[in-house]
Amino acid sequence: MKIAFREIEGKSQGYWGLFAVLAILAALGVGSALYMEHHGHIVTGMDNQIVWGLPHVFAVFLIVAASGALNVASIATVFGKTLYKPLNRLSGLLAIALLAGGLMVLVLDLGRADRLIVAMTYYNFKSIFAWNVILYNGFFAIVIAYLWTMMDQKGGRWYKPVGLLAFVWRLILTTGTGSIFGFLVAREAYDAALLAPMFIVFSFNYGLAVFLLVLMGFYAGTGRALGDKMVLRLKNLLGVFIAASLYFVFVYHITNLYFTKHHGLEAFILMNGGIHTLMFWVGQVVLGYLLPMAILFHPGLGNSRAWIALAALLAILGGLAQMYVTIIGGQAYPIDLFPGFEVSSSFYDGVVHPYTPSALELMLGLGGVAVALLMVAFAVKVLRFLPERLDDETVAALHGAK
Amino acid sequence: MTQLALVIDLNVCVGCHACVTSCKQWNTSGQAGPMFDDNPYGKDPTGTFFNRVQTFEVGEFPCTETVHFPKSCLHCEDAPCVPVCPTGASYKRKEDGIVLVDYDKCIGCKYCSWACPYGARELDENQKVMKKCTLCVDRIYDQSIPEDRRKPACVISCPTGARLFGDVHDPDSEVSIAIRENGGYQLMPEWGTKPANHYLPRRKTKMHIHEDELTRADNPLRKEDIRHETSKDTTLDDWLM
Repeated sequence: MKIAFREIEGKSQGYWGLFAVLAILAALGVGSALYMEHHGHIVTGMDNQIVWGLPHVFAVFLIVAASGALNVASIATVFGKTLYKPLNRLSGLLAIALLAGGLMVLVLDLGRADRLIVAMTYYNFKSIFAWNVILYNGFFAIVIAYLWTMMDQKGGRWYKPVGLLAFVWRLILTTGTGSIFGFLVAREAYDAALLAPMFIVFSFNYGLAVFLLVLMGFYAGTGRALGDKMVLRLKNLLGVFIAASLYFVFVYHITNLYFTKHHGLEAFILMNGGIHTLMFWVGQVVLGYLLPMAILFHPGLGNSRAWIALAALLAILGGLAQMYVTIIGGQAYPIDLFPGFEVSSSFYDGVVHPYTPSALELMLGLGGVAVALLMVAFAVKVLRFLPERLDDETVAALHGAK
Repeated sequence: MTQLALVIDLNVCVGCHACVTSCKQWNTSGQAGPMFDDNPYGKDPTGTFFNRVQTFEVGEFPCTETVHFPKSCLHCEDAPCVPVCPTGASYKRKEDGIVLVDYDKCIGCKYCSWACPYGARELDENQKVMKKCTLCVDRIYDQSIPEDRRKPACVISCPTGARLFGDVHDPDSEVSIAIRENGGYQLMPEWGTKPANHYLPRRKTKMHIHEDELTRADNPLRKEDIRHETSKDTTLDDWLM
């Protein structure tokens, strides 16, 4: 069955309103980056104890979500589920846009963003960070090629191999992102091989949540038909991915709890860490896992578009909370240089490091989200990314095809 | 291979922070500088330091004692901050083992400060590149400085001489002898980073004196029994005897 793709009109007030809001957010993000560049990091909440702050929370979330957003396309191409084939263009587009937004935040939060060219020309291949630079660039190139094989007939015969390459690459990419933390031996919260597969599962979860929201948003906004069959399948998948995320988080913490030397860290995250404990239990576990799962698997609520959208939004908020706990919490917990001794100094040794993100950091982070969504909003207007109709008959026909 | 390092005697260090301030002074005015300072004379001063003194208490109150622990980059022989640097800006010199940051190649990603188990790296919030102790590399090879002054600023300024500087791979160097003879140890050797800097532990000087030793066995006055009867009244002799 042939699927018709068409650009959205993009002339409505709603479209331009969305465009304007995103553009303002993006401009605020760039403006705050310029301000931080001019005045130095002292105007942020970051210091020498919390070196990666709120911008990295957004950046790593977007990068992880980017690889996850490609999953829908991979399911169609690699695993042969033709049902999802109409969505693979949007999947590829979202992957590129989210990665671009995330990298924008990451680069602008570098001490010397002006030296990006150095990062691109000098590689220390022992550094997982350097490998990530290669993996990000490769991801852009491969997914653009993947989109070409989807959208241009000439590329059609490359569709399968490039799709497979993209799938393998996205797994390696998220392994790399997780390993940025997994390879950090010096901090108690990291130094675990589990972080790489855990980040892959997180990416399935966050990527699909973003994908589902964007898909439902555009179809609702443009009035195109989007049948329940597609939405309900995707929401079930999201529910499974959220459950898998919860499982990995459970294994991570139960393992740490088994090691006496990690009890201090676990007590900090799970019991007495203030904002970090709150972020973990309320943000990550309740809002990010339990509540969306309850909604998605509820026989009544799970069929409602509004509730599904809410669940996806909660999964995203839970993802941001998870990144906050992982990135900020892991740094806030002090390095134990003198086990068993009480340490005091004039520079925060031996104490939990306080961190209050500045509005500038929040604006930069939101700016990255805005840039990603702007790219999507622009691309679907100028290129044929979205199928004209995804009603139940179309989906049933596709489903029958495989 | 030469491995320059500091050896810090915790038995002698009094926590005066002279090493901290002299380090800041030299490096701010030297090639690495200026080092960032914000609100230096105000309520909440903050800034970049290569060297800081930690203080920790040993024992349970009231049987406690305070140990001052100056800490800077330990110039690890297997430095974990070097392999993680994406651009190779963080490197270890082959000729003398000093771990340095190429400020022109550092992109300020701060990943090395995550990787250092000793918390020795600091981002200069103005220059936005990572900085750390250079062992005063711009001083120790400076031919215009008298030879006996070609040492890191902290070593020269220490009023108690708690800081020694030299090649820990040379068994006859002052630092190697100090490590060997005084039980010098590395900070957290279990990491396997082989820190070049060593610390000499607190050492208590104790003597056991028997009560007999407090009585003069060969007191000539007793031996010859030339003491005279004294009156019951207190006289000057009572004090003398």
